[in-house]
Amino acid sequence: MGTLLHANWFMTALFGGMSAVIVASVLLAQRGRAMFIRRIPGLSGIEEAVGRATEMGKPIFFSPGLDGISIVTLQALAILSHIVRLAAERMTRIIVGICDPTVLPVAEESVRETYDSVGRAEAYRPEDVRFISDQQFAYALGSVGLMTREQTATSFYFGLFFAEALILTENGRALGALQVAGCPEPTQIPFFIATCDYVVIGDEYYAASAYLTREPTLTGSLVGQDIVKAVLLALMLAGIVLVSVLGPAAHLGQNFLVDLLAQGR
Amino acid sequence: MLLLYALHRLLGPRGRRWLIALVTFVAGLFYGLEYFYPAKGNPSANFLTKWIEPVSIMFSVIGFFTVGLGVYSLCHVHGRNVARRRPGWHNSLAFFLSMIAMLVFAVWEHYLHLPEPPPAVLPWPKGVYEVLFNGLFAPLQAATFSLLAFYIASAAYRAFRIRSAEAALMMGAAFIVMLGQVPVGMWLTSAIPASGPTAFFRLEKLGEWVMNWLNTPAQRGITFGIAVGAMAMSLRVWLSLERGTFFSEQA
Amino acid sequence: MEQRPPSDLWQRLQQVPRHYIYLLLSGVIVWQLLAPIRLPILPSPPTRGVYDAIRAVPAGKLIVISTDWDASTQAETGPQTRAVLEACFQAGKPFALMNLASPMGAKLGNDIAVEVGKEYHAEYGMVWCNWGYKAGFTNVLLAMARNIPKTMGQDFYGKPVAALHMMQKVRTIRDVGLVIEITGLANMTEAWVGLIQGPYRIPFAAAYTAVMAPGYYQFLDSGQLEGMLVGAKGAAEMESLVNRPGAGTAIMSAQSWAHVLIIALIIFGNLGFVLTRAREKGRER
Repeated sequence: MGTLLHANWFMTALFGGMSAVIVASVLLAQRGRAMFIRRIPGLSGIEEAVGRATEMGKPIFFSPGLDGISIVTLQALAILSHIVRLAAERMTRIIVGICDPTVLPVAEESVRETYDSVGRAEAYRPEDVRFISDQQFAYALGSVGLMTREQTATSFYFGLFFAEALILTENGRALGALQVAGCPEPTQIPFFIATCDYVVIGDEYYAASAYLTREPTLTGSLVGQDIVKAVLLALMLAGIVLVSVLGPAAHLGQNFLVDLLAQGR
Repeated sequence: MLLLYALHRLLGPRGRRWLIALVTFVAGLFYGLEYFYPAKGNPSANFLTKWIEPVSIMFSVIGFFTVGLGVYSLCHVHGRNVARRRPGWHNSLAFFLSMIAMLVFAVWEHYLHLPEPPPAVLPWPKGVYEVLFNGLFAPLQAATFSLLAFYIASAAYRAFRIRSAEAALMMGAAFIVMLGQVPVGMWLTSAIPASGPTAFFRLEKLGEWVMNWLNTPAQRGITFGIAVGAMAMSLRVWLSLERGTFFSEQA
Repeated sequence: MEQRPPSDLWQRLQQVPRHYIYLLLSGVIVWQLLAPIRLPILPSPPTRGVYDAIRAVPAGKLIVISTDWDASTQAETGPQTRAVLEACFQAGKPFALMNLASPMGAKLGNDIAVEVGKEYHAEYGMVWCNWGYKAGFTNVLLAMARNIPKTMGQDFYGKPVAALHMMQKVRTIRDVGLVIEITGLANMTEAWVGLIQGPYRIPFAAAYTAVMAPGYYQFLDSGQLEGMLVGAKGAAEMESLVNRPGAGTAIMSAQSWAHVLIIALIIFGNLGFVLTRAREKGRER
């Protein structure tokens, strides 16, 4: 099956429809309609994790992953802001280790603004938001060294992680740190589950900002996402039936739904 | 860029938010419009297609300016450690020595211009570069990656406990896949004929079945969910609907 | 997170210090590297897919091999690269190396190609070449689809790609008969499939590290991948297909017994867990 360099009319209509559903859901939520989000244990554990560091009088470590400025990292920074707010209110130190230099100024600004917003501007330490290395394993080892020297009580890993994830989390575990991780990369989820106390799996990661802030805009978007997933599931089922049940028409060229998606015919 | 910067400085907070929202919208609109605008030809192209490459290169170049920021941050942190003789300052000193050594010899090696074929005895800067890069940097990367083997062994031993029926199923699938991936597994079930109805029960066949029929649908499901989540978040960021501390709260 | 000290054998089985685990694992791996127990390796369908795809490349078309890996994954991707190059040389298919991810990978891939090329008396520029590392990733893919010599510019040795003998009839991506991606990095395949394999229907195969391979079976299932090498096992299987056992085959002996050790440790840990629980339930009654 081919992919498209440009959208055909079906893809345009599908994407437009999905966007319309999400935006409509957002508008409904902004008008006051109550929307339910189930409990996400990984995100509920954030406050407990920050509290643990406060009780032990030790710092928190946060890693936003390896990626540059992208949707994954923006979500990680949104979660970082929430954690910094909690930590600043409790006068707990938080250290952020950065891998991609493009994220550094954004993270610095985010952390500084959050300290300002809770009236703790004097508690902000610029050296606590630091670039470690843009090389994957140098970053992992640098972060492990940082956690070991600072004896962090809690570690958060939110963002895009790859093979270095296990190095970070296994060493964090050996330190006795409470660890919370969230990564949209499916291959790393087993390693996080084996080593971390709380894990945010798959698209729970993108629900984080809605879950933590309970902003109507965000919860509306989350509900809209779920509706879109249901529509896609229905399309998949229709495709399975058409491919499986129509016998000779299961051949690629005679399956009109496959042709519609792939070539717009 | 200068005009945008000037506007950003001149406008008040409300104006700045609108400016940022407008720039975000236009930047996102470019790529979206290029994909969705009707295209013709083979390969397909529309009036925006020829601009994709230069715009992408422009964003890459802007991003590369931040490499200097990363170097500054490192020098700032480690410089303070050395200047104030904080505990572990010798590690910071090692950082400066290794950074300067790698920088000097990498640049020197690049401009050496060795003849073809290269001489039997290499010039000493090239030799030092080879020791630093191929003798230190590359093996250190490989060695760090190799640590994962030990970590996964200890993590698997510690974490995998059969506390429920689902855990037992997962354990069984894990054992099948682990043994199916290696010759020992093939040897254990080598008595089963390689073809015929019972061939399915050979460990390597069972492992392939688990990967193709259990793992693949699960991966697809997760990929779809993540893609829709990413799409929704992209839409929120593009339309400046994202809320929360980082994105600044606004009505 | 902190464990109570073990009070008896069953609890000790659950709390073996990690240092002993590391020692045991090191011992098993060293033992097998020094005195391997060689067991037969049967090529799996994904590996055979790569091998068949190489042999099926039409005459006059080029194979493009993207060596997007570096020293960290060299233990798996190095033997994979060597085995793939052996298959290309044996099949008599011209190929071009390239790299989109790291200059180190370009050099490491080139070193392997030079070594294997000498064994097959293959002259650079006639049967194989190396386009080198090109920065820009998706931009490079978009541009090479339209004009390969212009996009690649100079090869790994600084010579114009267009001047190489084997590149005289190669202009666009349609002159490529197969793309093989060898990588330990995520998101490379998605770009190749989205920008090259899908729109231009160029056959695409790949070699991945064992950790990332489960995520790509879906591409194999949908037909977007012709075949796939999975970690050192894939390298060993390819070596058996080309009849040149090498590092991949050597690693499999060690990996086999390492897997057996890990399974044994998990079983012992669960034995201790189950027996401790049973004993505690018995005491409660």
